[in-house]
Amino acid sequence: MRTPVVLSLVGIAFLGLPLLAPAYYVTLMLPFMAYGVVLLGLNLLFGYTGLVSFGHALFIGIGAYTGAVLTTHLGVRHMELILPAAALAAAVVAAPVGALCVRYVKIYFGMLTLAFGMVFYTFLLKFYKLTGGDEGMRMLRPDLLGSEWTTFSKTAYLIGPYYYFSLAVLVVATLLMWRIVRSPFGLCLKTIRDNPLKAESLGVSVPRYRWYAFMISAVYAAVGGALLATPTGNVDPTLAYWTHSGNIVFMVLLGGFSSFFGPLLGAFVFIFLQDTVMSVFPYWRLIFGAVLAFIVIFAPGGLMGLFARRRRPVEVSRA
Amino acid sequence: MILEARDIRKLYGAYVALDGVSLSIREGEFVSIIGPNGAGKSTLINVLTGVLQPSAGSVRFKGKDIGGIGTVALTRLGMARSFQLVQVFAELTVLETLQAAVISRLGRGARLFASLAGDRQVQAEALEIASLFGLSDKAHALARELPQGDKKLLDVASAFALRPEIILLDEPTSGVSTADKHAIMEILVGAAKRIGLRAIIQVEHDMDIVFGYSDRIIALHQGKVLADATPAQIQADARVVDMVVGRRRH
Amino acid sequence: MTANLVNILMGGVFHAAILFLVAAGLQVVFGVQRIFNLACGSFYALGAYTGVSAVGYFTGHGGPPALFIIPLALGGLAVGLVGAVVERSLLRFVYDRDETFQLLLTFSLVLMLEDLIRMTWGTAPVSTGGLYLTYGQARILGATVPVYNLIVIAASLAIAVGIGWLLTRTAFGRIIRASADNREMAEALGVDMRWVYVRVFTLGTMLGTLGGALVIPATAAMSEMGIELIVEAFAVVVIGGLGSMRGAFVGALVVGILRSVAISVYPELEMLLIYLIVIAVLIWRPRGLFGAVAA
Repeated sequence: MRTPVVLSLVGIAFLGLPLLAPAYYVTLMLPFMAYGVVLLGLNLLFGYTGLVSFGHALFIGIGAYTGAVLTTHLGVRHMELILPAAALAAAVVAAPVGALCVRYVKIYFGMLTLAFGMVFYTFLLKFYKLTGGDEGMRMLRPDLLGSEWTTFSKTAYLIGPYYYFSLAVLVVATLLMWRIVRSPFGLCLKTIRDNPLKAESLGVSVPRYRWYAFMISAVYAAVGGALLATPTGNVDPTLAYWTHSGNIVFMVLLGGFSSFFGPLLGAFVFIFLQDTVMSVFPYWRLIFGAVLAFIVIFAPGGLMGLFARRRRPVEVSRA
Repeated sequence: MILEARDIRKLYGAYVALDGVSLSIREGEFVSIIGPNGAGKSTLINVLTGVLQPSAGSVRFKGKDIGGIGTVALTRLGMARSFQLVQVFAELTVLETLQAAVISRLGRGARLFASLAGDRQVQAEALEIASLFGLSDKAHALARELPQGDKKLLDVASAFALRPEIILLDEPTSGVSTADKHAIMEILVGAAKRIGLRAIIQVEHDMDIVFGYSDRIIALHQGKVLADATPAQIQADARVVDMVVGRRRH
Repeated sequence: MTANLVNILMGGVFHAAILFLVAAGLQVVFGVQRIFNLACGSFYALGAYTGVSAVGYFTGHGGPPALFIIPLALGGLAVGLVGAVVERSLLRFVYDRDETFQLLLTFSLVLMLEDLIRMTWGTAPVSTGGLYLTYGQARILGATVPVYNLIVIAASLAIAVGIGWLLTRTAFGRIIRASADNREMAEALGVDMRWVYVRVFTLGTMLGTLGGALVIPATAAMSEMGIELIVEAFAVVVIGGLGSMRGAFVGALVVGILRSVAISVYPELEMLLIYLIVIAVLIWRPRGLFGAVAA
């Protein structure tokens, strides 16, 4: 099979990048890796369970603000504590929100999630004494593996220890998600996606499994959010705005939602394409809007859909 | 008595869909429910499968009241159903569909990190059901690419994979060519014996199929049970013949 | 005290008048084409900017300021015709697709329009300056209300009545309602849906752009106005009920007045209160006040 070969090459490239590429491109890999984690979770909800959330940025915001609050106000600097805290915060919010939202489908699910996302945005914006309002909150440089890396300048920290730390998180997140989609649970999600009525008749409790998928995807989004916040050192309410939610759905569609690696490809292409376009032409949204329209109309399977020789994605049990 | 419905009434506002329907299904029976459209068959099925709560009366499965308990709970109790309009999982293969049913039966649906491919029991059972239904050579075909007859078989096969005690088939041969109808019924009955089904209920319009396989026929008309008897008795019952053929001439 | 109340109320009703126009545009498109147009806010913004330019051109070429509302409204309406272009070139390819893809296509419009507006008008806010008070102010129960607001409220009411008349008394209206009810049936009866769709979408767009144009004298055209308005418009149609014109009317009043009350009483709450109501409505009565579509 081609996949292990491709993955190995990609893996080697990722590992060697900080040593070979200019610092600028290495720092661009950081949001890619953060969004990669977010999108792996989002696609569990979208590609595998069939639910499109227009408010998922809510959880990115929760993760990011968790990191900011912990480092700035509570003196917690260990990333190994920040990430689980972000995950926990997301789970706590996702449990009731998810329980509510998964009872609805399609457009109503999209609307409810959008509303929740905007509630959080408004809260972040208006309650400025708590959240810093539209200026946001700072996120201080976290310790990695117990060390402050004080001898490293900001850039050296980002393209060095932080890069490899993020990469490790991405790899772990990917492996975990791989297990999840290839598990009995993953198959049940797909039955819900394809035919909820039939799934129920086979004894699959549709709202409960959708809820699990929702919570897992929320946790992933928050971990990604915390990773995203560190390089900029600042978090602000726009992280939770509905257009941010729209953009991450766009990224998944771009890469290909029917494929396991599609979302990662989508994150990569989006980040790097955005950077390339912005360096020559400030109006990247115009280009990207056109790209999205093109994909929706002509290539709904995204980039992976174009590459795939078989129509099926690489997953679950095949002989 | 495995399934018992007592004096079921179901009203939709002022419209009476079921008006005092009573029936019982016993061990080893193959019962067909017949009746024209609008007779209340769909409503009756939905009441019998716990989807609808009856307005009055009770439904008991293995002695337990199942009124409105819902499909998922009913499946756990041991009743399964197939659908009139064939229901499959478009993007899953035949094998994956059957695996899903087996997983559900074994209660392994919440296993997040276990490998499906490595679960020998699930694999084996799914393959077994596939072969019972003659779908082994199509095991890796996508459900949406199957011909209509095979889709029907898959719909039924996945219900059988739950190893239910009783199964309710909603027009198992509808939309299938006459040539294939008997083939499907033979497969069905054979599989039922193999997995130890205790009773089969079917809703059918095709009288050849009904008379060919039923131990008992229940004729439904305008929300009431018109007749509940053996095929021979039904054939002799003028009221049922009229109902099936159409209005009495003069 | 009364003056305060009247101010709040009039402010709310003015905002409701604008919201109604945009929401009506959303509803008519959803009702017939079953597409929730995320870009309705962007069209609103487009109308706003175009309105400013139209007024600027008009007064710059010697047009009397007292008539500024004419180029404003005409500019707003004219740019709405772009809806026909959008429908024919993009939207018509996704009518047979899953709702998700339709939503995403309208999102692509949001992105494109945002930058197109930036390219054409820049990022600094633009406004019609002092023209807002050209028609003077009225004193109502002790409060001072710009006459312009009253004109817009009246215009919006007139349009509401007009839409009602269009839907119930004209052939086109009957076709709209038939198609909204049952698309296939309408087609089977000989209605050419392509013709219906392009007109309905253009109508929807024009209502949105007009709304944007009319609000301009009272505020300024800013680059975020589009993506901000969609969430309010969305609240209006959820509360009122997806696809219902009456819903757009009542929903707009609810949202407009509540927001006005919230701003003066407890500014932090503003939109938060609205979103919480949206969530409450989606939970307890998903079809809103007048909607027909259930969850």
